[in-house]
Amino acid sequence: MQNPYERIMDAMDVETFFVCKNEEEGRSLMLAMLKGWGFKDVDVVFAQHEGPGVRIRGRAYIYRPADRYAWLLPDDTGGTQL
Amino acid sequence: MKNVLLAPLDPVHDIGLKMIARGLEQAGHKTTLLPPDLGSEEIIEQILNSPDVDTLLLSRTLGYGVGELLARFVDLADAAGVREKVKIGIGGMAIRPELAAELGFDAGFGPGTTIEEVVCFVEGREYRPDPNRTNKNKPDLTEGYDYTYLHAGIAAKLEKISSFILDWVKDKWSPGVERARLRDELWDVERWRKREGNGDLYQHYLPLCSELPKKFYETGELHPKTRRFTREEVAGLERYLEDTKARMSVLKLQHTRKKPYVFNQYGTGCPFMDIGHILASEAWGADGVVHFDPSWGARTEGFLDGFLTHQEDGTVITPANLNRIYLGLEKSTLWQIRAHRGLNTPETVVLAGKIGADLTKINFCYGSLAAGTDPERMVVDAYHAMLYAKKYKLPFDVVTNEELAGVPAYKAFAGMLIVSDLAVRLGARPILQPLFAYSPEVMINELMEDNYIDFNAGKVYALRGIINAPIWPGAPIGFLTHTEDRVQSAMTTALHASLAASLGVDAISIASTDEAYSGGPISAPAKVDTLRAVQEGFRFLGQGTITPTDTAVRYAERITDGIEKVLEEVIKAGDIVAALHKGLLGSREEGAYPGRAGKGTVETQKES
Repeated sequence: MQNPYERIMDAMDVETFFVCKNEEEGRSLMLAMLKGWGFKDVDVVFAQHEGPGVRIRGRAYIYRPADRYAWLLPDDTGGTQL
Repeated sequence: MKNVLLAPLDPVHDIGLKMIARGLEQAGHKTTLLPPDLGSEEIIEQILNSPDVDTLLLSRTLGYGVGELLARFVDLADAAGVREKVKIGIGGMAIRPELAAELGFDAGFGPGTTIEEVVCFVEGREYRPDPNRTNKNKPDLTEGYDYTYLHAGIAAKLEKISSFILDWVKDKWSPGVERARLRDELWDVERWRKREGNGDLYQHYLPLCSELPKKFYETGELHPKTRRFTREEVAGLERYLEDTKARMSVLKLQHTRKKPYVFNQYGTGCPFMDIGHILASEAWGADGVVHFDPSWGARTEGFLDGFLTHQEDGTVITPANLNRIYLGLEKSTLWQIRAHRGLNTPETVVLAGKIGADLTKINFCYGSLAAGTDPERMVVDAYHAMLYAKKYKLPFDVVTNEELAGVPAYKAFAGMLIVSDLAVRLGARPILQPLFAYSPEVMINELMEDNYIDFNAGKVYALRGIINAPIWPGAPIGFLTHTEDRVQSAMTTALHASLAASLGVDAISIASTDEAYSGGPISAPAKVDTLRAVQEGFRFLGQGTITPTDTAVRYAERITDGIEKVLEEVIKAGDIVAALHKGLLGSREEGAYPGRAGKGTVETQKES
């Protein structure tokens, strides 16, 4: 089976709720999680901390514009940045 | 005819199951709908007592314990020998097709399943969605508008202003005007599409270009952040388009109202990624798409050519890039190429017209006060752009985004009306584009302290009281109300879209839920987010209305009075370029700075 990441058009967002003390800690957790999954081009798109934790959305760009997209070039091995 | 037993595996009836029963009956099948809250054993007993039943459709709405419940049902059905003679499908809010397949059901129908899909399962047919299930036609946004004035005072002032602009501009020339003439007269798009070259165009074109295009045509050197596509990528795009188009269908966002038509923008920098985004937007219901080009392109005299991808925001305008995007569009999609600022304004309109765009964007006030182009150059180029817009039958919106810099709405509107009046006199078809925005003027003067409705409605009331012209709020609606929270962002877009629908405007431009996120390019799902939200907003509103408070009328009166005063001052100045420099249509204090790109390039043509 083709690597599912290669079928992602551009970016993958991950939304969750971390139990944590503040927004900064939540952001660190999200970035650590995405990097732990092997993604390099990662960011936190949105974070809002209230009492119990943070509602947070992280993003891993699989492709930036002008990359070689595997969904366009399924036989190309140099597309994914993982 | 099939004999279908339908049974809810819930304590209450699932409305979806009733609708499916009705659909099956309409398709000529016999149905028996069992009452809710029966145990699995009782349903199986019912099948055993009904030897004619050939299909069982179960539904499950409650998600709790669904896996265990269904696994047990399958075990019981196997033990009773039911599976050998009865086909079993399961559907409902708690069901996912993959879960159904894992448990051994013959089919699983999740949320969003159509009755037709279930009928196909019952009849043993493969479900093929009709690619034409939503037939959308390309509308003319200006249809039905005659541009008659309803405000005599403003009409009279605009006539005077257009008169002195026409008198001043008629013998003015710029390199951009000349390149547009060359593109118009020497470039045969059909020959170029057949790979028969550009004729003599570039022989005359190059001397009129700045350094970047000159180097490109002479040495092949590109802008540092661009590269050419490879042959493999172009072939890959062809395959991708062929595969996608074969299964493509488009949603319609509007519910019972015909308008507003919904546009979103693209311009990742890469035309191939743009095509991916456009297809997703079309599939999720966008009626039109707007091409965003990079800001450096607007400061460059002349266009590059070839399939070029760019690493930063904005997709480079080249004939090849535009043509490739055009060929990927659905037939019903309105396509706008913007020509509202920069040194290639008239040629952009010619290119857009020749390649197949439906709309463009022109406003010399915005282009010179908030987008960096020299006012004199911008007026001259915009005048010729309007003439080409008429020739190529491209209506254009007259954008008022200088409001975002801090220019008050009445001044931006005065500029918009000056441009529109001139356009109408030239035989073009302008579309008024007020901002629906939480603008600096609004923030400073607390005009939206209570709601986001009144000031936006007041703008539309004001314009409607002045001229019978199409209105296309933008760009995007809800500007500066979006946050990085995708729920909030989609919500504010949907609410502004609903207000636009309630006000009966012709079109809107919407953002994605990445509008407020600046860390990277807009993603495809972020575009789908707001399209879905707008569809839901339209469904919610239907023929209903959002009622502004009386304050909206007061705002409209204030805007109208302001417009008239500004026009009076422009008449006193007697010169549109001087008016722009003096800040009559937006001052430095208000955040409007006359641009410098193209300064000193306008010449007066000698009579031949």
